[in-house]
Amino acid sequence: MIIAGIDIGSRAAKAVILKDSSILSSVIRDTGPESVKTSYMVIGEALRDARLTLDDIQYTVATGYGRVLVPFANENISEISCHARGINWYFPSVKTILDMGGQDCKAINCDGGGRVTNFVMNDKCAGGTGRFLEMIAEVLNIPLEEIGDVSLESKNAIPFNTICAVFAKSEAIVYLRKGAAKSDILAGLHEAIAIRSLNLLKRGRIERDFSITGGISKNKGLVRKLTEKVGLEPLLCEDPQLVGAIGAALFAQERLTGADIQTTKIHQYGYSDASGDYFITIDTGLCDGCGDCVKACPAEIFVVDKDDSGQPGVRVKEEARKKLAFLCPGFQFCSQKNTVNCHSICPKDAIKHSW
Amino acid sequence: MKALGIDIGSLTTKVVILENGSILSSIIIASGDEPESSAEEAVEKALNQAGLSFNDDLYIVSTGVGRKSISLSQQQKAITTCLARGINHLLPSARMVIDMGAESSTVVRLNERGRVKDWANHDKCAAGTGIFLQQMAKLMQVPLEEMSKLSLKAESRADITSTCAVFAESEVISHVHRNPPTPKEEIVAGINYSVVSRIMALSKRIGIVKDVAVTGGVALNSGLVYILEREMGFGVLMPDMPQIIAALGAAIIARENIEKDLS
Repeated sequence: MIIAGIDIGSRAAKAVILKDSSILSSVIRDTGPESVKTSYMVIGEALRDARLTLDDIQYTVATGYGRVLVPFANENISEISCHARGINWYFPSVKTILDMGGQDCKAINCDGGGRVTNFVMNDKCAGGTGRFLEMIAEVLNIPLEEIGDVSLESKNAIPFNTICAVFAKSEAIVYLRKGAAKSDILAGLHEAIAIRSLNLLKRGRIERDFSITGGISKNKGLVRKLTEKVGLEPLLCEDPQLVGAIGAALFAQERLTGADIQTTKIHQYGYSDASGDYFITIDTGLCDGCGDCVKACPAEIFVVDKDDSGQPGVRVKEEARKKLAFLCPGFQFCSQKNTVNCHSICPKDAIKHSW
Repeated sequence: MKALGIDIGSLTTKVVILENGSILSSIIIASGDEPESSAEEAVEKALNQAGLSFNDDLYIVSTGVGRKSISLSQQQKAITTCLARGINHLLPSARMVIDMGAESSTVVRLNERGRVKDWANHDKCAAGTGIFLQQMAKLMQVPLEEMSKLSLKAESRADITSTCAVFAESEVISHVHRNPPTPKEEIVAGINYSVVSRIMALSKRIGIVKDVAVTGGVALNSGLVYILEREMGFGVLMPDMPQIIAALGAAIIARENIEKDLS
């Protein structure tokens, strides 16, 4: 059985070809502006390495930010499910995953079968993402691959009290002008990112074993700081950037063997930015899609919709997700003004706010 | 004795010298890395302009982010207090001040006596600040001053969904390279709108009340102020020199302290 997994991330595109549960070939390239072309390029290179053609692939699953733009994929599955599935293949004991990507950061909890039980995502703020590290590497004029090692040389980390990429950059420039060591600046920034990632993880559960995936986990300095902050030694796989693509390929395999694909039960909508966390959590296991909250919400942010399996359930409107904090004043504030609100009206108590 | 107010902002340092309730001199300079030397330089320039020197008897009140790192002031005051006092002096009908600075936005509600009633601020993230606008102007290769004019010409605006300054930058780039490209005016209006939506959210937290006055360097962007007025549903007041209001407030407090000492 030959199958493929494609992960089109915001910064890097990955392709993996599996044959009977072992990796035949894998490719990682920059995504670039045209993700359709990129998806053909990565699969093409992977096929060449494996001495195969596209016709040999029996099933392809695409994942990642650009998953809908992979023309030859049979199916697309969210990267959250794929990361959980992929890490489970390497380390079945992992329950907590921190996925640090180019433009977002996710904390994922999964069970022993690689099924997602909870996740929190930050895709609203560049602080602590790959983009942030890229900007800093550029300011300090050190190649991105080396900043982690340089940060480890520091004896005296400079504390940064901001995680905003723009402010951190200008603060770093001021320290540079004052003659601070690059290693101390980097150590301070890595510390700030580690604290932020810990806060994201705390929004879910932190359980053994712990693993870090995504391109940033190749940064040894950051992994060291995260180990200190989280208090758990992470299990790192050979190439943490490929985990999503491997997970996608494993889903493809399950599709061919007829195994059930498990999807998430808890849905979180929202984001966290430097001013705080703004998440609305809907337990789709409890929600039956009655729609009472749709009428009760003064900000009109909910909508009843059907999920992939056709079950009705409440969701936060697509257009509201990225500006949630502007539309919804938060439960505490809302409940003071409105006696009828989404929490009070929900017969199943399926909705929660983080602010 | 002369009353002097100094506001050490993240981007600029402002000094106001008062005599008998009117402004004797005012100065705005770029803040350097060291607040102490920026403060000294600004005070010296303002004194020169007023025909005074450090030898004259001065009472200095400082405010702004850098106020704690300077030694030449007799007293430090919060930016909210100074904004309230400054705006109340110039525009007594104002019940709300929206201060849009380089690295932070502050909104203050005033009571009937012109004192601080409530406030909220946003200083942890570059979205919705002057730095955000500056960065976008650089990206669009349009001088910061032109941004305001372009925005006023726009018939509709480009949608910029990201709040984060870094991600918004990529969105703006994709608007520029779209085929056909989104007109410059519309992109600029979209950028201004994104700042306004952030400020509206902050203002709503403490409640919007008339009259509203806008201050800070961003207030000079009339395109942005126009969008803000549209969103609020009414016109806002703007003092002649919106950047120096906090420094003016600090100078007013200094004058009051002098009078107290005399009696």
